[in-house]
Amino acid sequence: MTEKNLLLAIFEDIDPAARAVDKLRELGVTDEHVTVISGTPITEAMLGRKPQWSNVTRFALGGAFVGLCVGIFLAYGTPQLYPIVVNARWIGVPPTIVVMFELTMLLMLISTFLGVFLDSRFPNYTPTEYVPEISDGRIALLIECAGELERAVESAMHAIGAESVKRAQAEAL
Amino acid sequence: MAISASALPHAHAEEHHAHDHEAELRREHLMLDPKPRGELNAMVMESMTSTSWKFWVVAGILAVIVAVALFGAWGYMISEGLYLSGKNRPGYWSLFLVHTVFWVGISHAGTFVSALLRVFKVEFRRPFTRAAELMTTFALAQAGIQIFAHMGRVWLAYWMFPIPNQRQLWVNFQSPLMWDFLAINTYLLASTMYLFLPLIPDLAMARDRSTGWRKSVYRILALGFRGTEAEWTHLRIALNIFAFAILPVMFSVHTIVSWDFAVAMRPGWSSTIFGPYFVIGALQSGVAAVGMVVIVIRYTMKHMDYFIRKEHFDAIGKLMLVISMGWAYFFFNDYMIQWYGGDSFTDALLHFHEAGPGGWIWFMMLITNVAIPWLVLWNKAWRRNPVLLFSVGLLINVGMWAERYIIVPVSLQINRMPFLWGQDFRPGIEVPIFIGTVAFFVLLYMLASRFLPLVPVWEVQEGQMAHSIRRYGKEPVVSVAELE
Repeated sequence: MTEKNLLLAIFEDIDPAARAVDKLRELGVTDEHVTVISGTPITEAMLGRKPQWSNVTRFALGGAFVGLCVGIFLAYGTPQLYPIVVNARWIGVPPTIVVMFELTMLLMLISTFLGVFLDSRFPNYTPTEYVPEISDGRIALLIECAGELERAVESAMHAIGAESVKRAQAEAL
Repeated sequence: MAISASALPHAHAEEHHAHDHEAELRREHLMLDPKPRGELNAMVMESMTSTSWKFWVVAGILAVIVAVALFGAWGYMISEGLYLSGKNRPGYWSLFLVHTVFWVGISHAGTFVSALLRVFKVEFRRPFTRAAELMTTFALAQAGIQIFAHMGRVWLAYWMFPIPNQRQLWVNFQSPLMWDFLAINTYLLASTMYLFLPLIPDLAMARDRSTGWRKSVYRILALGFRGTEAEWTHLRIALNIFAFAILPVMFSVHTIVSWDFAVAMRPGWSSTIFGPYFVIGALQSGVAAVGMVVIVIRYTMKHMDYFIRKEHFDAIGKLMLVISMGWAYFFFNDYMIQWYGGDSFTDALLHFHEAGPGGWIWFMMLITNVAIPWLVLWNKAWRRNPVLLFSVGLLINVGMWAERYIIVPVSLQINRMPFLWGQDFRPGIEVPIFIGTVAFFVLLYMLASRFLPLVPVWEVQEGQMAHSIRRYGKEPVVSVAELE
């Protein structure tokens, strides 16, 4: 099996980072083996990369559906279990819409929130590849490459304008 | 006839003018005056960590007020009974409900400023969205305290939860009070999550730049955020969902609060327009409170003069003016229909509002909510004056308190049973409890300002990246790219 190395290339600006992504492709490092890390959101389009997969919308829709079901159960189901018939009236529809709406929205937003946690694997306190300069505006490319490519990748990154290229070390954040 | 001659402007004079204009644009707009990210981070960190002794003196005084006026008075009321409050026939709801509505109203500002302006990509929102979101969470906590105090036997609050109890008395989901419970809790949870999500990258920034106990706490709260493409994507999608979804929740909360009154067949309350009238009232008090908070932050916290500028006062002032016009429209609409209805009890109530013992409060409400904002906020120079803007914000909040006072205890005096009519309302222990919640709100905000980055640095930097100045002919014009 080929040895894999992790390199961390730090760029000051987005333009050299975008050129570096192209250069890595030329060298045979595919997008799946490059992780972009930045302190400000950088869209995939800015670096010419494929959009990231996210399940957050699916979590939201799932949560909304579950919330609606819970709302229906509370508004229509529980009065069957604990009947309180007031003034010979049973369950009016308009008030139940309020209950269903609130629970649909509540569960949708909770699942969206949890979706971010699950998709991003939060919380994660294990040591990881990171440098604090990233939150100061630097853009980092975490490159997974075969051992024989390491030297070529390193010199290409330097040639494009990387501030530093080094072996990535997993450290406690 | 005197003839004056002047030289035609030279090209370099025009050039000079264009440069002046460009410099003025940069001075005026935060988005056009970028600084390196490291410098922005350092400024925000320093604003949190530079605390003078005066801060702690004020915090100490507020803590004493909270202990005595809020928890002391509340504990005394619990031990002695609800008779200490102004609750009496026919004013059963007293000031607790006035203050609940007041705090729920203040809480609307955070969502309005943050979510609605995010949906419409309004750029001036960026530096103070978090300051507004914090208001939402802390104001809802005060609203909750008022509700619990109003309950009397607060330890039985769990009866509101849908848990079968030994008496088999299931909660009634067809009651507006139950909808209130659901709506306020949904809003509290949603706004807290909406506060936390965009805070994660800033907590990670704070983690990277701090040491000691602060680093440990920020490390836990930042959840291991690094800023990978995937993390940003999930965050961006979630924030978009929240921004769109929390708006109908916000509208539902104050509409449902209004239904506590509007579904009752009482003169002055039974009104189909009460929902939107309450929502615009909430925005009126909330946006005014945002204006006040932004001014206090700007002048009391280090480096905030860079982030909060006159352009922000101007924008908030315009919002306050437009919302004040909206409030006047809904107020008059509600008043007009009730007045035209000809119902004798409603006529008596409307007359009582204006000419009863509390008539001056009704006129004060109109002066502070309509006359003063309209007279002051139309003027650009006055909108940009922090003392004037703060004063108008404060007066609007006094006016909005008065509006709720008229709707609850004053309106309860006149009902459909003249033998139960009252004349005047005597407030009781609710007053110190309210003062305590005001102190608690300010204290929570002050403590949060020492620990949470009040300015969302990554959002500010993102905005600065999107803005640029280009020339249209010789005129510098601002252009904004859509980066998302």
